[in-house]
Amino acid sequence: MRTVLRLIPLGLSLSLAFLAFGQGVVVEVDDVTDNRVTAEMLRGSLDLRLRLSGAELEDATAARVIVKEARDDRGTVLTKGDANQPDFQGREYNAGTVMLSLLSPARGASSVLIKGNVEIFAPSRDPNAMVRIDKALTKLDTPLASKTLQAAKIELTPLSAARYEAMLKDREVTEEMIAAMRAEGKKAGASEKEIELAIGLAQALGGMDAPPREGTVLLAGKRSSFDQIFRIDVLGADGEPMDTPERGSSTRGYDTIMTIVPREPPAADAALQITLLTAKSRLSIPFELTLELP
Amino acid sequence: MKNLLIVLSLLGAAISMTAQPKSIEAVVQQINDRRTSGSFAQLLIAVQLPGVPSSQVVASRVLVTAAVDDTGASLLDAESGEPALEPNSRGSMFDEGEKETPVTVALTLKNPSRKATKVKEVRGEVELFMPAKDPNSVAEVAKFLSFSGKSVDHKALKSNGVEILLLSKADIESERKKIAEAHRKEYKEAGYEDGEDLENTIASMMEYTLIVEESDVPVRIKDPHKRIQEIEYVDSAGEVQRVHARNLHEDIGAITTWGDPPGADWKLRVKMKTSRNLERHAFVIRDVELP
Repeated sequence: MRTVLRLIPLGLSLSLAFLAFGQGVVVEVDDVTDNRVTAEMLRGSLDLRLRLSGAELEDATAARVIVKEARDDRGTVLTKGDANQPDFQGREYNAGTVMLSLLSPARGASSVLIKGNVEIFAPSRDPNAMVRIDKALTKLDTPLASKTLQAAKIELTPLSAARYEAMLKDREVTEEMIAAMRAEGKKAGASEKEIELAIGLAQALGGMDAPPREGTVLLAGKRSSFDQIFRIDVLGADGEPMDTPERGSSTRGYDTIMTIVPREPPAADAALQITLLTAKSRLSIPFELTLELP
Repeated sequence: MKNLLIVLSLLGAAISMTAQPKSIEAVVQQINDRRTSGSFAQLLIAVQLPGVPSSQVVASRVLVTAAVDDTGASLLDAESGEPALEPNSRGSMFDEGEKETPVTVALTLKNPSRKATKVKEVRGEVELFMPAKDPNSVAEVAKFLSFSGKSVDHKALKSNGVEILLLSKADIESERKKIAEAHRKEYKEAGYEDGEDLENTIASMMEYTLIVEESDVPVRIKDPHKRIQEIEYVDSAGEVQRVHARNLHEDIGAITTWGDPPGADWKLRVKMKTSRNLERHAFVIRDVELP
């Protein structure tokens, strides 16, 4: 069942880099699950767990797989068609495997062909990938001042509790928003039931934003800014990232709010360390693999 | 003699006929053909029984006797053992005043071939645990901790031959002394002499023997007919607290919530299977389209 393929660099520059180091990346299908479901609203999926290995990954912090084309041997297209790219997945989790979810193949299919890119994130390859901002939490409700962030067109604002609450209020689902969701849903061809479910979900999610706990670091910014960030750490007195058992982000439209809850409240003059997904810290390697369906 | 044989044969047929469970309508609700190179590959079919209200069913299981797809392959998993009664989580969520919904049971089969398009037929029996059918199904004991050091007294427990002895701290201490003494005897028979070394060895062994945690209620349960299906607490607010059983030493166990210990005013609720509250029905489903 296991499929091992050596990635074949297609672009010339990538090929040179590939060949210069004489190293590649190996993709191994660690697990494949074709979860086929018949139920009212549920859809099945083809879920893959890919193991990546090779010298290129030695200094990698994270990786992700971007699928460009996926189809079964009956011709069924398995890509989801949305523009959202998956997040980079930290190499320290799940033994470095990368999860990938596709649409269900045809029942009678026996194999699937996937073409895409493995993207590797190695911040040590670019000195500008790590930005440290001292005393980042001393000026709340004011954008962080950093030339590197500015150059990357990233604007982040640490929030006070009062500003956070005001922003949550602005995010409440209004009648106008519901009407817009209905119109968008109809335009996209969704059924009435699906539209109502989406509206209910949005309303439920709107009510889930709880007041922040003491010591929570709150950061607001455009979604496009957060898309360029791999991780934000709060630094402790020893200069090391604090242990943060809880972290998350919530996006409405183009705006995102990130919450970071360190185990202990951070010092008032704590620094932030922002790890950026810069072009020099990323390597994209095309791949193609065929796997047999279980 | 010949007539006697015929009579016996007819009697046997009659008994065998009466032992057959009545058939029940079964409607397929959901199918999940989980095909994987890893663990938990299975075909799961959720079946609704329109004639049975969900609120009356506390647990259920499905015993499949035959299952075949349209390629002729059997979907019975020879390696899986007899399924246990699984709690009906939807039944406990039913509120009075809400529209009653029929119970849904789940059956597990092997994955059909990818070439198969239908499950041609599944036959079997569904077993439903319906405590309301028998007044001796449930023993609910108020302020049960007051029975510490004694057997819990309830007619439903007696009727099912179940004995639950709540062990007190003194009982546990006494048991620990007995266990330590038995170890001491074994060691001495093996050549150890009385003294500090022997006592240290025994003390070391007892650090891991019959240890009762704060949330544990130590018990000795006798259930010779395997009637107990579920044990739970009901707290002061009337909320059900799920209880887990664990073994402490030989026939001594503990029931625990893995959280806070039960309060003095909490109830102990024991649900038991009896011949009157376990219903079996034969079912058959045919031509189930595969996803």
